[in-house]
Amino acid sequence: MGKKEILEGLRDATVEGDVDKVVSFAKKAIAEGIDAYEAIMEGCAAGMNIVSEKYEKGEMFVPEILCSAEAMYAAIGVLKPYLKAERVETPKKIVLGVVRGDIHDIGKNLVKIMMEAAGFQVIDLGRDVPNEQFVEAVMREQADICGMSALMTTSMIAMPEIISELKKKAPKTITMVGGGPLSEELARAYGADGYAKDAAAAVRVAKELLIKRGGA
Amino acid sequence: MIDRMKPGERLAAVLMGQKPDRVPVIPFILGFAAKIVGVPIGDLYTDPKKSFRAQLLCAEMYGYDSSPMYGYASFGAWEFGGKVGFPYEPGQSAPYVIEEPVKSEEDVDKLEVPDPKTAGSIPIMMEIARQCYAIGLPAVFQCGEVLTTAANIAGPERLLVWMKRKPELVHKLNKKIEEFFVACAEYFVSTFGADKCMAFGGGPVESNKLISPNQFGEFVYPYMLRVHRKVLEMGVQIILEHPCADQNKNLPWYRKLREECGWKGKYIWVFGPETPLENQISLFGDHDVIMGNVDPPSFQFKSFEEILLLCKDNIERGMKNPSGYILGVGCEMPPNAIPINVYAMIKASREYGSYI
Repeated sequence: MGKKEILEGLRDATVEGDVDKVVSFAKKAIAEGIDAYEAIMEGCAAGMNIVSEKYEKGEMFVPEILCSAEAMYAAIGVLKPYLKAERVETPKKIVLGVVRGDIHDIGKNLVKIMMEAAGFQVIDLGRDVPNEQFVEAVMREQADICGMSALMTTSMIAMPEIISELKKKAPKTITMVGGGPLSEELARAYGADGYAKDAAAAVRVAKELLIKRGGA
Repeated sequence: MIDRMKPGERLAAVLMGQKPDRVPVIPFILGFAAKIVGVPIGDLYTDPKKSFRAQLLCAEMYGYDSSPMYGYASFGAWEFGGKVGFPYEPGQSAPYVIEEPVKSEEDVDKLEVPDPKTAGSIPIMMEIARQCYAIGLPAVFQCGEVLTTAANIAGPERLLVWMKRKPELVHKLNKKIEEFFVACAEYFVSTFGADKCMAFGGGPVESNKLISPNQFGEFVYPYMLRVHRKVLEMGVQIILEHPCADQNKNLPWYRKLREECGWKGKYIWVFGPETPLENQISLFGDHDVIMGNVDPPSFQFKSFEEILLLCKDNIERGMKNPSGYILGVGCEMPPNAIPINVYAMIKASREYGSYI
């Protein structure tokens, strides 16, 4: 089997969420001497890009995304030990969390999956995260982006407070918000740099904002 | 205009297919009432007496038309043996799952259908219903939704992955939840009589942000249909159905539900703000009441004048429904809503929603 077929196999098995198949292709990639980084980016990440596009078009839904993510992580588990240090670019860092008072983290987890697939390093703070933890994590990690998620109309009011603190303490950090009750209008009112309506859009918006900031 | 009807009369008129003095208002208030009466939001979910009093007084103060009820989106975890937390900390607004009763495939088999008389929050729901009944208001009980309840029992991510990898487990779990909802309905109906009860269903996991319409057809519809049929067969006449968040792709299923239930009873549909009123009217308008779906977060940050305009627009479009319209919000009123913005709904009804 040639390199092209193996990368396509990794990509398609990721889209299908087929863990056995993707692991088999990952092993073949190693056996054939394909660069592990290339296998992840051209195989698994390419697959997750397709998943992301299909989700945006309403052709795939969350159960399928979660299965694709399982497959991607399984393949990465096989490929990771073979990554060459010099091939790994310094990834952009994003601090991600669900704001205080909110324990609904499925949206945040989807953003994490999509961001990791796109090559970001995600610092996941989890759910019900106090405001100061966002600020501390951004400063400690020197994060490029801080992403805040909320499902509840009541918890999202923490967002402008976090954004305001970040503007003072880490003014270069890009702030992004998302989640069920949020909107472009509300994100602007909160002073956020960006808003994403879903996980797929989050990656696109993050990349656009990084280019705008001049650090992509 | 001056009100010529009392809240109960106004709502009853709409449900009987008559014209009230003006559009009734149901602002879907729970946690917000706690702020009005000065108790923690957690008390609204743990203390039936305080909950009833807060909801009743809040409605009386504003002059809106809903009666007290009990329910929350994380329903199911506690009832089936897990743990929930109550909103006593800053920023918290509703009960949340601390521990799901189902953590493994084996747990699904072990899961027992609880007795509604003692299960989790049902005694609180029953006590609030008793107090409502005592003053002539409907006794409200929860009868859905099955998949949201399953997600609360098994955890949303686990459940959504099972839908792809182990669908038989989801069906097994859903069947138990269906059985529980029917048992709850029987408990309330036998206590108060069907004509005094109102069923309530809703949940966000059914939304197309999460699942496809085909998945709705496979994992939601059959259970929902059976529960609704049984509730209607028991003689319950009113079902308040809240397809939460964006469920536009599921609309044909909801229409099918009404057709397959023979358009029995009267439904009050409360879709999220994502679903245009016109679409709802074309699907359900010949039989059912449509409750308006003003965007809930707006109540937290928009001005009184802006909310008034949003309500005016909703009223002008909703009053075209031949089977009745109620001004409402597309989900629960945020507990941190600006208090005067809730009044904007009543004012809008008086100024733009007159039938006289």
